[in-house]
Amino acid sequence: MEHVGKIFMPGDVLSNLQASQKSGKVVLGPGLKCDNDSVFVNKPGVLKHKEPNFYWIDSHQKKYVPTRGEHVLGVVTNRMGDVYRVDIRGSEPASLSFLSFEGATKRNRPDIKIGDLVYGKLLCANKDIEPEMVCIDSTGRSNGMGVISCNGGFMFTCSLNHIRKILSPQFNLLKTLGNSLPFEVAVGMNGRIWVKGRSIKETIAIVNGLNSVEYMDTNEIKVMCRKLLDTLAGF
Amino acid sequence: MTLQAMKAELGFLSRPDGSSVLTQGDTSVIAAIYGPGDIKLSREKIEKATIDVVYKPKSGLPGCDEKVDERMIRNICETSIVGSLHPRTAINIITQEVQDSGSLLSCCINASSIALLDAAIPQKFTVAAVTCVFDKDDELILNPNLRQEKECKAAFTFVFESTSYETVATTSFGSYGKEQLKTALAACKEASKTLFTFYKDLLTKKLSKD
Amino acid sequence: MRDNPLSICEREFILAAVEIQKRIDGREPYDLRKIKITFGLDYGCCHVELGKTRVMAQVSCEIAAPKQTRLNEGTMFINVELSPMAAPQFETRSQDLNTEITRLLERSIKNSRCVDLESLCIMAGEKVWELRVDVHVLNHEGNILDCANIAAIAALAHFRRPDVTVCGEEITVHPADERDPVPLSILHMPLCVTFAFFHNGKCLILDPNEREERVMDGKMVVSMNKHREICTLQISGQMLLEKDQIFRCTNMAVKKVIVLTELIQLSLENDSNARAAGEKFGFAESVETNEITTEYKEESEVDMSDIDDQVVMATQNGNSEDGSIEELELDMETKVTIMFEGTGMIGQGGANTWDMDEDMESDLTEHKQKPQANSRSATIAKHIGGDLSGESEEEDTVMLQQEDIGLQSKPIISSEEPTGNEIDLTAALAKPRGKKKKSKHKH
Repeated sequence: MEHVGKIFMPGDVLSNLQASQKSGKVVLGPGLKCDNDSVFVNKPGVLKHKEPNFYWIDSHQKKYVPTRGEHVLGVVTNRMGDVYRVDIRGSEPASLSFLSFEGATKRNRPDIKIGDLVYGKLLCANKDIEPEMVCIDSTGRSNGMGVISCNGGFMFTCSLNHIRKILSPQFNLLKTLGNSLPFEVAVGMNGRIWVKGRSIKETIAIVNGLNSVEYMDTNEIKVMCRKLLDTLAGF
Repeated sequence: MTLQAMKAELGFLSRPDGSSVLTQGDTSVIAAIYGPGDIKLSREKIEKATIDVVYKPKSGLPGCDEKVDERMIRNICETSIVGSLHPRTAINIITQEVQDSGSLLSCCINASSIALLDAAIPQKFTVAAVTCVFDKDDELILNPNLRQEKECKAAFTFVFESTSYETVATTSFGSYGKEQLKTALAACKEASKTLFTFYKDLLTKKLSKD
Repeated sequence: MRDNPLSICEREFILAAVEIQKRIDGREPYDLRKIKITFGLDYGCCHVELGKTRVMAQVSCEIAAPKQTRLNEGTMFINVELSPMAAPQFETRSQDLNTEITRLLERSIKNSRCVDLESLCIMAGEKVWELRVDVHVLNHEGNILDCANIAAIAALAHFRRPDVTVCGEEITVHPADERDPVPLSILHMPLCVTFAFFHNGKCLILDPNEREERVMDGKMVVSMNKHREICTLQISGQMLLEKDQIFRCTNMAVKKVIVLTELIQLSLENDSNARAAGEKFGFAESVETNEITTEYKEESEVDMSDIDDQVVMATQNGNSEDGSIEELELDMETKVTIMFEGTGMIGQGGANTWDMDEDMESDLTEHKQKPQANSRSATIAKHIGGDLSGESEEEDTVMLQQEDIGLQSKPIISSEEPTGNEIDLTAALAKPRGKKKKSKHKH
């Protein structure tokens, strides 16, 4: 469709959206709203399309709005009885039950301190109710989620589009960087990244590298990665 | 009739969730948005976002005039923002005067509008404000400077929305006739289209590497 | 709004990094962040960027009476505004941080007597210049104080006050176009340098950023001028310092202060050269136009050719596109129903069932005449009419005229209120009673 990939501003009306052949429906994602049979754009950004009938607006945003099923990095801020309050950069903290960890039982509680980093998934996120976070999948496995032990790693924040760029297979950033500079990483869709390199020096280099790519294209990213390595090698 | 040169930067400040600096002619304003964020329980609205506007003058404390401007920007933003998407949250809009060389109010409104775009707050439409005056020879001047603003017979500020260029808010002072109001409205409407194109160009440039 | 919480992981990493003399932003421990100083179009306006921390300072002055204790000296007042723009937690006023910064700035700038206040005396004991320095913190990424200090001093050095002549008892203030304004005499430039301490005072770094400030054990602020004179020294936080550590810090501070003073002087020079040469200058020029997040649009013509035609057409038959204003106006004429002065009704509300007594009716007629008196559009005039006369609650209140209070620049303040599709009648509705009393009194 001719609209896809173009930039839209709030208030623009979309027409000729491609509906699914089976159900005759169109699925509208973030930034799009249906009102009186016409589709309105309510965020500025690029219109994206996914077969068969998904449409959404890719916009640049810093503030996180919790969305169901997304992986987030949270900071434990408080403990109230059986649940932890976890800051996920949204408008309110998410709740995280101590039972939603792998292998946790009423007796065997996970060891979590205030200020700890947790990597989890949003089980429930709705504009009207408090988001709920879990650190296990539906089979009860941790699947990489849980408390991030903090020996040597560093966590920093960036904008949401930046996060998507880092994860995007199109830019292939993590791999390019990791080819010569091995590191561990946890990326939360809420704009938080935790990285750990082989040493403090390398971690700092990776942090700065990841931080600088927001407005870079693929070639620039390659150049940046090379430069970063050169500097590290002590050129 | 000319509309002064404009210059804008998105994401001017690192802390806010959206920010902009806008210079129209010599007048500059910085605007910043925080939100949708947490809010005190007492100010929470169960069905929509609470919008707060703060206007900071460059020297001295804000007085009555500033509070009126604040109120006006708040009302405009309240009409443009789809607050129902973020109930029980606060959206704070802060505008800071950097240089007042006339048409400050319209510059504040436009800067806030650009900051809202930068923060990607859901909006029904974007808004653009244009100020114009009739000088003593009844000539129409768009975005007047301080002297022209002082010596004018009548001054108008019109705020338009981007979908059908309808008026969202107006304010005026001085004495004028029906005819003049119409001319001013028509001229400002035409000028606002330039602003909307400018907004789009600004965003297009920012998103060009996506 | 809440601030970003600090996680244990960030804290431990910063501590570990400081120990091996590394910092997240790639600086050496004793490096300042990049500094950019720009001046505004007005005299006495200065923007300072220290890394991403941004502060704007504006100096203004007015004539006032001197302090009773110092009759032949001008006064200086420093006001620090932690704008809610700078960080989400700065929503409410009066915080400790605000007081701390104000006090330190006062000590550094005011108490060091770097501005020659005696030269600000116009008539001893009667009239002196009162300087006001407004320091706006626009973005908080750590070390606000150093940034604010640079901004305040640079703004003071940049400021020009209007020239005055005293002739007997008479004081004449010359506007800028009549006589060139006079710069203040700045005797020296005290500048703050902040050191943050970690690991119980063992490790120190200069110019801490926001995260480092939250992890540090304590800090030491040295305010110094380039003549190696210490103007203020403050140590806060829980740590023990050794004597030679303080010496080391002050020695380091003086090097930074010399560099900073040079930078301020250079940017002041650049600014005055640009002004003299008539080149473009000021804050707006400092915004780069070739970056991805910026856009520039040159002065453009607004095509008025068909607008004039439209307006003519509209006035001729009142039916074209622009005729809507006329209709709107007419609508308002019919729809705003004034029951008695101070109340109004718009829209589809039912007919009024309240009784109208004579008073009310006479009020109504009196009010209706008002809009014709001035030629503002009908909607606005009615609103103002209701609003302004609603000010007096008591019967014998004297109404001040605009001329009396010296508000000439804006004829009527309330005309600035939004009067678009909605008319704000709340103010008018709030006080119908006082109104009635008052007009009774008139009759």
